Amino acid sequence: MKKFFALLKVSVKSMLLSSTNARGSSRKKAATGVGAMLLIAFLGLYLSGLYSSLLMQVLSPIHMEVLVFIFMGMGALVGGLLFTTFAIKGVVFGGKDNDLLLSMPVSSTMLMASRVTAIYLENLLFSFFVLAPAGAVCAFMTQSGVGHSLLFWVRLIIAVFALPLLDTALSVLFGALVAFLSAKVSKGALGQNIVMALYLVAVMWFCFNLNGMIEGLAANAAGVKESLSWAAPMLWMADGVMGDWGKLLAFAACCIVPFALVVYGLGRVYRQAVTAFQARAARNDYKLSAQAASGQKKALLAKEARRFFGTPMYFWNSGIGLMMLVALGVAALVMRDDLRIYLGLLEGLPLMPMAALVMGFCLSMCVIAAPSISLEGKYLWILREAPVGESALLWIKTGFQLLLSVPCTVIAGVCLAAALELSPLEGGLLLALTGLFDLAHAAFGMLVGLAFPKLDAVNETVVVKQSLAVCLGMFVPMAVLGLCALLYWLGGMASAALALALPAALLAVWAAVCATLLAKRGPAMLRAL
Amino acid sequence: MLRIEHYSKTYPGGKKAVDGLTLHVRPGEIYGFIGHNGAGKTTTLRACAGVMDFTEGTIIIDGHDVKKDPVGAKRVTAFLPDNPDLYEFMKGIDYLNFIADLYDIPADQRTRDIGRFGDAFELTGNLGSPIGSYSHGMRQKLALISAFIRRPRLLILDEPFVGLDPSASHIMKGYLAELCQNGSAVFFSTHVLEVAEKLCHQIAIIKDGRLVKCGPTEQLVGDSSLEDVFLELEGDK
Repeated sequence: MKKFFALLKVSVKSMLLSSTNARGSSRKKAATGVGAMLLIAFLGLYLSGLYSSLLMQVLSPIHMEVLVFIFMGMGALVGGLLFTTFAIKGVVFGGKDNDLLLSMPVSSTMLMASRVTAIYLENLLFSFFVLAPAGAVCAFMTQSGVGHSLLFWVRLIIAVFALPLLDTALSVLFGALVAFLSAKVSKGALGQNIVMALYLVAVMWFCFNLNGMIEGLAANAAGVKESLSWAAPMLWMADGVMGDWGKLLAFAACCIVPFALVVYGLGRVYRQAVTAFQARAARNDYKLSAQAASGQKKALLAKEARRFFGTPMYFWNSGIGLMMLVALGVAALVMRDDLRIYLGLLEGLPLMPMAALVMGFCLSMCVIAAPSISLEGKYLWILREAPVGESALLWIKTGFQLLLSVPCTVIAGVCLAAALELSPLEGGLLLALTGLFDLAHAAFGMLVGLAFPKLDAVNETVVVKQSLAVCLGMFVPMAVLGLCALLYWLGGMASAALALALPAALLAVWAAVCATLLAKRGPAMLRAL
Repeated sequence: MLRIEHYSKTYPGGKKAVDGLTLHVRPGEIYGFIGHNGAGKTTTLRACAGVMDFTEGTIIIDGHDVKKDPVGAKRVTAFLPDNPDLYEFMKGIDYLNFIADLYDIPADQRTRDIGRFGDAFELTGNLGSPIGSYSHGMRQKLALISAFIRRPRLLILDEPFVGLDPSASHIMKGYLAELCQNGSAVFFSTHVLEVAEKLCHQIAIIKDGRLVKCGPTEQLVGDSSLEDVFLELEGDK
């Protein structure tokens, strides 16, 4: 067991340090690591607390509190799957230290188990931050008093510890499939993209259904529970937390058995799996033909594009906001009649600012520039020795984000303006405000990428999903949007013109500050890496 | 071709990696740079290539100051680190074209040179495969081809023989000599003293960041061997 814990410590430490600055002092590393954890904790607690209390308000009067735990359990399961499935390929099967650790006198099952356990601990964190607020809400809001007993908390803790086992087992299976496809399919990135697309479609389908279930909750809570029989383990967990020890044990068994089977089964073939997932033989049939030349900027932009579209992790995590943005615009245009009827019911809504806010929210999730410096990592020497100025390199990276985000912004903006029947002036303002946000967001992303680089990441998953630069590149722009909404509300007290002028001024100042900082300090920051 | 004057590099924390190094590499010369691990070889090579920032001293490549005109200096230089990591998401041919584009190499010249060096290093057939599928040696060869197609005025190599098979090493030595015959210069570090002794016109020995001896190989070695000279200077003999 000593060896197992030593291996586990390495895996956990590597995961914890993934969100920290590689070059910083140990105190700075600890501070950024704790900061990132607090951010995740805050988001988990806030979202779970909010939704649990909303659900409990509806369900408590009809004594169907059990549904809160079903939905929160599903949320934790799906969230954990989203969070860890695509990390499995890198963390469990593709670690940089594979050769080193596989050469050591430890069984491959133990090595596999240590890495899977590290993933379990990550899922455990997620499970805790989702289920704990649900428990607290139950304790305060339930009318049956079930939440007040100590045994309720014991049962909840068992559920919190058991659920991530199921999550981890599913993540490892899906992750192994992704790793297998990327190794065996000649267009590995395409294969991964297809799996990722199917996966997201499934999650979306689930979310849409969940929405429908919640809408019908008050009227037919018992029926909703009945309709969830396909998710039996979640029902057992919820019934178990509410007092049925038998079902809780059945749920625990449902989590432990798959986990043990996955660890033991894949552990036995771990060495073969790692070898198979890595084996990609170079073909020897290339015939050189006349090559074409292009300029420096075009070559650098093409390189950024190859990395973005050829790295599924990067493409889906950083591009999802743009896909949502375009989908939002097109959907609004296609369903404009329904949309107008719905908006007609909410008379007096400021349509253009609301559209700008929603578009800004989607754009916030387009974090392409922020991880791009960290993604250079071990390849940074290539750019450094190239005869290209640092400033040009940074603006090309920033420009690549703009190259993707601006057309999507225009498409979505035009569609929304048409769907909402905005005047040409309002449509122009919508495009101007979101365009300004695009510029500021891209420059800000580049700056945080330079300020919090993660050049020694074990794989791109760590950079794209967990690095501090990505967290800041996404959540700070969202906070700016919140500030814009606040300024709009404050300005609206004086005049309609001021209501628009204040957020516009904030965005303009933010864009100007970021662009100036990037131009003046960026090259020196890049040199210092 | 390369003038290093009073170059020093101090790392955060005060450790002086290189201290007041002065060294000149003339056109047509193959200059070997040897020293024990941590002596400051890589730090110096990286500073010359413009990959690493420095504060003390000047480095001039073919008339371009690395600090004041870094882009100009890089345009005439090719640098290969000891373990060149190349973009794994690119195919070999894409990487060579990427480098060729950065150095504005015309289409016909790059096609000719890629074919020539690719065939010599027996890599042409593999250029259509992703770099991620290459072995260590194949990556090393690709990095070397990407350096040679630039026709650099100064070629800086950090431990270039590591990972190369004997045949590729032999081919590389031939191209280094050819490069120097055309008026370029090669500045490289190595731990393979026999190769340095046979290949280099000039050799510099660095110890604890300070240049302890430099000069033409014959003069430096005299009747002894480079290994003996090196060990004597290092105080191991």
